[in-house]
Amino acid sequence: MSVAGFIRDILPLLWSGIISGCLYGVGALGLVMVFKSSRVVNFSHGNLACLGAFVVYGFSSGSLLSLSWGSAVALALGIACAVAVISYVLIAPIVFKSDLASTIATLGVGLILQGAVQLVFGADIVNLDLPVPRLSFSLGAIRISSYDLAVLTVTLAIVGGLFVIIERTRLGVAFRAVSTNPFACEVCGLNLRSVHLFSWLAGAVLGLVAALLIVPTTFLSSTTVPSFMLQAFTAAVVGGFSSLPGAAVGGILVGIAMNLFSFYVSPEFMNTFLLGVILLTLNFFPNGLLERAIGGRV
Amino acid sequence: MSDLAHPSKAGLSARGGHLDLVRLSMLGLVVALSLLPIIAGGFLLYSLSLCFANALAVLSVSLLVRYGGEVSIGHSFFVALGAYAVAIVEHRLGLSIVVSLPLAILLGAGAGFVFAFPSRRLSGIYLAVATMALALALPEILIGFEKFTGGFEGLYIAQDVIPGIPKALQRYYIALLVLVLVCLALAHFRKSSQGLALLMARAQPRAAEAMGITRSWARISIFTLSAALAALAGALTGFASSTVSPNSFTFFSGVFLLVGSVVSLNRLSLPAALVGGAFITLVPTYLAQAGDWVPILYGVALVVVTLIANAGDLRRFRPRRRGR
Repeated sequence: MSVAGFIRDILPLLWSGIISGCLYGVGALGLVMVFKSSRVVNFSHGNLACLGAFVVYGFSSGSLLSLSWGSAVALALGIACAVAVISYVLIAPIVFKSDLASTIATLGVGLILQGAVQLVFGADIVNLDLPVPRLSFSLGAIRISSYDLAVLTVTLAIVGGLFVIIERTRLGVAFRAVSTNPFACEVCGLNLRSVHLFSWLAGAVLGLVAALLIVPTTFLSSTTVPSFMLQAFTAAVVGGFSSLPGAAVGGILVGIAMNLFSFYVSPEFMNTFLLGVILLTLNFFPNGLLERAIGGRV
Repeated sequence: MSDLAHPSKAGLSARGGHLDLVRLSMLGLVVALSLLPIIAGGFLLYSLSLCFANALAVLSVSLLVRYGGEVSIGHSFFVALGAYAVAIVEHRLGLSIVVSLPLAILLGAGAGFVFAFPSRRLSGIYLAVATMALALALPEILIGFEKFTGGFEGLYIAQDVIPGIPKALQRYYIALLVLVLVCLALAHFRKSSQGLALLMARAQPRAAEAMGITRSWARISIFTLSAALAALAGALTGFASSTVSPNSFTFFSGVFLLVGSVVSLNRLSLPAALVGGAFITLVPTYLAQAGDWVPILYGVALVVVTLIANAGDLRRFRPRRRGR
């Protein structure tokens, strides 16, 4: 491979890696929020996001109703939040008892959502685009499309909003306190349940946003979601499962690594590659790659 | 599950009449199962052989939960390893399952060791995430290495263990025999010093460490054992269904093994294993027309059983300090 060819390829690869990585990061943020506050690994995360994306498709494409894209998204957000609340209420009796049991229960919730999607929308593969004008321009070797810009804007807005909430509001303070020491918070009279609910709702919104933005680059079916979930999980492991900034950065790293791997090695072994990334990270950086850099907590 | 580390009540009253009744009913169950082929027909026998093989796989997941306190979503990987080992040995070397069974178990143990090693010091949720990746990677590995695995179509397993006996009977009795043997071995393991050491490493890590059993070593060894058992189950699954293909080892087959384990309350006895194995084998077989309802049914089972098994007194519906 020539040096010139390498330079020509690498910049677009990095760019598209960053774009999809943003979305893995947003997906991972939802997982980490839930894990930090309630110590539950939410295996229904991807299935809920998939359900939301299908609701948007069903209500905007005319297969169920033909609403505008915006109102379909609002409806989907409502449904996703309702499902998140219901699933938290379902597992609430065991959240404080056993991390493992509540994690298994979220897997059950995921299976139910998976079945619901198949029942209502069938096993077909559908396309769901973003309503952005199709534009693109070149910046050196990189082609930037309106989709890329939409992803960047939405990601920055939602991640920025989340960090403002966590850093500046009472709820955010409560969230940080609970994720540091739930027992002390309880002693001080803080309602752990409301903090849990906040993180589950935030997780649902983040998951849905990530799914809506990632679907245009792939396609939407009831079974593509576990794969998206795997990318978010990998990002969370790479960034450290209990670090929010780690999740965001981990997502971008995973996005870039996946793009490079599928271009230079093989696109068919994507999940195997992610498995390798997870195992290597757990072995050498048990608390995530960024442990030292930004002081992730054990 | 904190009572795990203490000897069970049944074990304490071993000399009383209580246990004899348990033993007798166990024996009765085995006798009934071994006489079943006299009255049962082909399809039922076939489904039951698969049930036995799946019951073994369910046991491997339960073993991990009971002794390691960990969840695996990806045990379908080790099951597939065992099944493909049998199939590939037969295709390449022309040898039957008698030869490939030990090989399958060794491969499963090796893979389990390698896999559990990276997460040896971390909490169980990391292993759960890693096993999810394992389950998702499995289909593409099976399809990618088409030369060995036969790609989408898979491979057939045709050789008999004992020539001359009808295939259906062979499948049935070998699966039953192995299942009963494994259950006996697990009951023995529960009382052995190794078994107790592993339980202690889970319940009282510091005490175990003082006696030279580190927690990380206990985690690795129990995962290795569990993976070896899963590979054995896989070898029998392949033999019982006489075919292996990527279709039977998707992400969901790994999740379903966990469903079976949870439905059997993670118990390691023969009846529990049979309940778990039957639940994940017979539901899709006999509810084939209900296709899309199967994940919902399994999901509901997972949530309901987990809640009932762990919630205890639901009136105390308030936050408590999480125990270590």
